[in-house]
Amino acid sequence: MIKLAKNFVVGTWSLIKGLAVTIKYFFRPTVTLQYPTEKQPMSECYRGLVGLRPEKCIVCYQCVKICPTACLAITHKQEDKKKTLETFKYNMELCCFCGLCQQVCPTSAIIMTNIYEISVYDRKKLDINLLDMKKYDEWTNTTIK
Amino acid sequence: MDATQTKDIYTEEFLINMGPQHPSTHGVLSLELTLDGETIVECTPHIGYLHRSMEKIAENRTYTQFIPFTDRLDYVASMNNNLGYVMVVEKLLKLEISERAKYIRVIIAELNRIASHLIAIGTFAQDLGAFATPLFYCFREREKIVEIFDQLCGNRLTYNYMRIGGVLTDFSRDIEEKIKKFIKYMRPKVDDYDWLLTYNAIFLARSKHIGVLSKEMAVNYSITGPNLRASGVKWDLRKDEPYLAYDKFEFDVPVGKNGDAWDRYKVRIEEIRQSLRIIEQAIEALPQGDVAVKVGRIHKPSPSETYFRTENPRGELGFYIVSDDSVYPYRLKIRSPSFSNLAVLPELVRGLKVADIVCVLGSFDILMGEIDR
Amino acid sequence: MLSILDIIWVLVIGIIVLGFIAVSAMFLIWWERKVSAHIQSRYGPMRVGWHGVLQSVADAVKLLLKENIVPAGADKLVWWLAPFIVVVPSVMAFVVIPFGKNLIVKDLNVGALYLMALSSVCVIGIFMAGWGSNNKYSLIGGMRSAAQIISYEIPLILSMIIVSMQASSLSMQKIVAAQAGYWNILHPNMALAFIVYIISATAEVNRVPFDIPEAESELVAGFHTEYSGMKFAMFFIGEYTNLFIISAIAATLFFGGWQGPVLPGAVWFLIKTYGIVFVLMWVRWTFPRLRVDQLMGFAWKVLTPVSFFNLAVTGWLLLK
Repeated sequence: MIKLAKNFVVGTWSLIKGLAVTIKYFFRPTVTLQYPTEKQPMSECYRGLVGLRPEKCIVCYQCVKICPTACLAITHKQEDKKKTLETFKYNMELCCFCGLCQQVCPTSAIIMTNIYEISVYDRKKLDINLLDMKKYDEWTNTTIK
Repeated sequence: MDATQTKDIYTEEFLINMGPQHPSTHGVLSLELTLDGETIVECTPHIGYLHRSMEKIAENRTYTQFIPFTDRLDYVASMNNNLGYVMVVEKLLKLEISERAKYIRVIIAELNRIASHLIAIGTFAQDLGAFATPLFYCFREREKIVEIFDQLCGNRLTYNYMRIGGVLTDFSRDIEEKIKKFIKYMRPKVDDYDWLLTYNAIFLARSKHIGVLSKEMAVNYSITGPNLRASGVKWDLRKDEPYLAYDKFEFDVPVGKNGDAWDRYKVRIEEIRQSLRIIEQAIEALPQGDVAVKVGRIHKPSPSETYFRTENPRGELGFYIVSDDSVYPYRLKIRSPSFSNLAVLPELVRGLKVADIVCVLGSFDILMGEIDR
Repeated sequence: MLSILDIIWVLVIGIIVLGFIAVSAMFLIWWERKVSAHIQSRYGPMRVGWHGVLQSVADAVKLLLKENIVPAGADKLVWWLAPFIVVVPSVMAFVVIPFGKNLIVKDLNVGALYLMALSSVCVIGIFMAGWGSNNKYSLIGGMRSAAQIISYEIPLILSMIIVSMQASSLSMQKIVAAQAGYWNILHPNMALAFIVYIISATAEVNRVPFDIPEAESELVAGFHTEYSGMKFAMFFIGEYTNLFIISAIAATLFFGGWQGPVLPGAVWFLIKTYGIVFVLMWVRWTFPRLRVDQLMGFAWKVLTPVSFFNLAVTGWLLLK
C-alpha cells in the first residue's frame, strides 16, 4: 500500500516535471528561421554546386579521374603543346557533393559554390555546361554572401 | 486455434504489412505482422528496399573514391563511417597518422555519436507517441553539432571529412571555441531529457520490461553497441580494443540491467554524457602538428586481407578488405551493426502488442541505409 | 404548431451556433499549432494573416477542393455516414452549454444527462469509420476507440454525477447558479472529481496521452487513415469541437461557468474554457502515449474505483 502510494506520488511528480520542461521552452525564443525570407548563412567552405573558373583550368583531367560518380566530362583541343578546354559538362544529377574535385584541382579552377537550392522543374537543366556559367543565374538569387 | 473457443465463433489471425511506407519503421523497412487481435503472433522483417550495392561499387572505386560512399551507409553518423573506413585502409597500407589527427578524429567521432544518439532518443520518444516535442528538442541540439561540421568540412549530412592519412581540414580557433561552448550548452539539455522523458511515468510504463534482451541472447545474435551494453555486457571497443587515442581519456562504459527498451534508451543518454567528457578532455589536450600525412591519392597496397572494426553509435562497424595488385579493392565487406540488431527483432516482439513493436524497433535504433547497404 | 417566427428563431440560433462552432474549431486548430510550435521552439504558421491566424481558413479551402477518395471495397453507406455521426453530436452538445446568464440555447432540465448521452454517440461514428474503410489499420483504430470510449465513459459520468448531486439538479444553469461565490473545484472531493473528469474527458476525445485510436506511430492515422478532403475535415472539426465542449463542461461544472467579477459572463466563460483547452494542449505536447491494455487498466482499476469512492464520500457529506 505504501509502495503504491509512493509510486503514485513519484509518477505524478515525474509528469509535472515533464510539463515544467515544455512550459519552460514555451516562453523561450524560437530557434527556427522563416526559411524563404530568412536564410541561414552557409559556411565559407560550403560544398554546393560545382563551379568553374575556365581561365585557370589546365585540362589535367584530375577532377574527372577522382570523381566517384563520374559526373564530370571534359573534352579539349590540342594546339601545339597547349591544351584548351572545349566542353566541360557537369551532370548535377549524379553529383554527390563530396568535394574531391575541388581538392585535387592543382590550380583551384574547379570550385564548390555555396548554391544549395538546386531543385529544377526540368530534368535537362540538371546537365550543366560549366563553361557557360550563365546557367547559374537562375540559382544565383539564392546565393548568400 | 485456441481449444477453449467455442466452435461456432470463427476467428482467424490476420496479416498486416507494416511498411515500407509507414511513419515509424525508420526508413523503408517492411514488417509482415501476423496479429491475433492486438497481439503479435509472428513478425517477419523484409529488407532490401534501400539496396544500393555499396560493396560492389567499392570494387570499382579507388580507396579514396569510396570515402564519400561510406557517408551514405549510416547517414546519421557519417563521420563514424568515414572513420571506420579510413582506419581499415590505413591498417592495410600500414600508415601511421599524426597525434593531432588522432585527437581531432576522436572529437569529431564523439560529436557525431552525440548527434546520432540524439536522433535515436528523439525518434524513440516519437515512436512512443510523445508527438514531436522531444524530437524537435533533439534536432535543436543536433543543429549545433551540424553547424560545427558544416564549418569544418562544408557539408551538413554527408561530411566526407576523414582522409586516408588524416583529416580534411584542421581545427580553427573558432571551431575549438564552438565545441567548448557546445559542451557547456549540451550538459543541461541532457538533464532536460531526464525530466521530460527518462523518468516520466508514462514513458516508464511504455518502455520498462518491453522487449527484454537477455545477455546470452544478445551475444548469440551478435548484437553490438548500446543495445549490447543495455543487456549488461560491458563491451565497448573504445575501451576494450582502444584505437586512435581512446586509451588516453577517462570515461565510463554505461551498462543496463534488464536489457529492456528503457535500458537501451538510458544507455544512450548516459553515452551522450560520456562522449561530452571525452570531447572535453580531448579538446583540452589537443596536441599541435599536422593533420594529414602526405600520401598519394592512388593507393596500391600489396595483396592482403584486412579487417578493422570501430565503435559506431549503433554498434561495431567492421570493414573487411581483400586487396589485390590493382588500385581497387578486390572485395570489400561491410559488417554493419544495424543488420544484426534488426535480426533479433522477431524473437523479441512475439506475444507483445502492436504498440510495443514500434517501441522495441525504436529502442534498437536501426538505420536502413546501413542494413541494406 | 410552429409559427413562422419560431422557425426564423430556430434558424438564427442554428446559424449562430454553427458559425461559432466553425470559427472556434478553426481558431483551436490554429491555436494548437501555435502552442505546439512554441513548445517545440518553432514559429508554427506565420504566413497567412497576422502570425498565421487565417491558416485554418486556407487549410479548409484546400480540403474543400480536394478529391474525395473512396477506397475500393469500402462499405459505402457506413463510410459516408461516419463523419456526420462524429460531428452531429458535438454540434448538438452546444444546446445546453451556458455561455452566459441568458446566453444558452435551451436550459434543459436534464442538461448533464443529455451531454452524457451525446458523448456516447460519437464512438459509433468512429467505429463506423474504422469498419467502413476496409483498412486493417482503421479497423484496429475503430476497435480500440470503441473499447476506450466505453471504458472511460463510466468515470466521466460518475464525476459529472457528483457535481449534479452537489447542485441537486441536472440543469446546467442551476449547476452554475449553485456555484455562486464558491466554485466547485474548491471542495476537495470536487477537485478529485475534476481530475477524474479531465482525464476521462481527454480519453473521450482521443487526445494524447490517450490517443490510441489514431496512434500515428503504429496505426498510421487509425480510424481516419482513408479519409480525405472534406470528410477528413469533418473529423477534424469534430475533434476540435469536442475539445471545446469538454473544456466548456469542465468550466461549467467545476469553475463556476460564466460567473466572475467585472467582465461579462460570456467573456469569463471563454477565458475559463480556453484556459482548460490550453492545459490540454500543453499536456498533449509533453507526454508519450499509453498502450491499449494500460489504458483500459487505468480506467477500470484506478479511475472507476476512485470515482465510486468519491461518489460515496460526496453522498455521505451531503446527507451528514
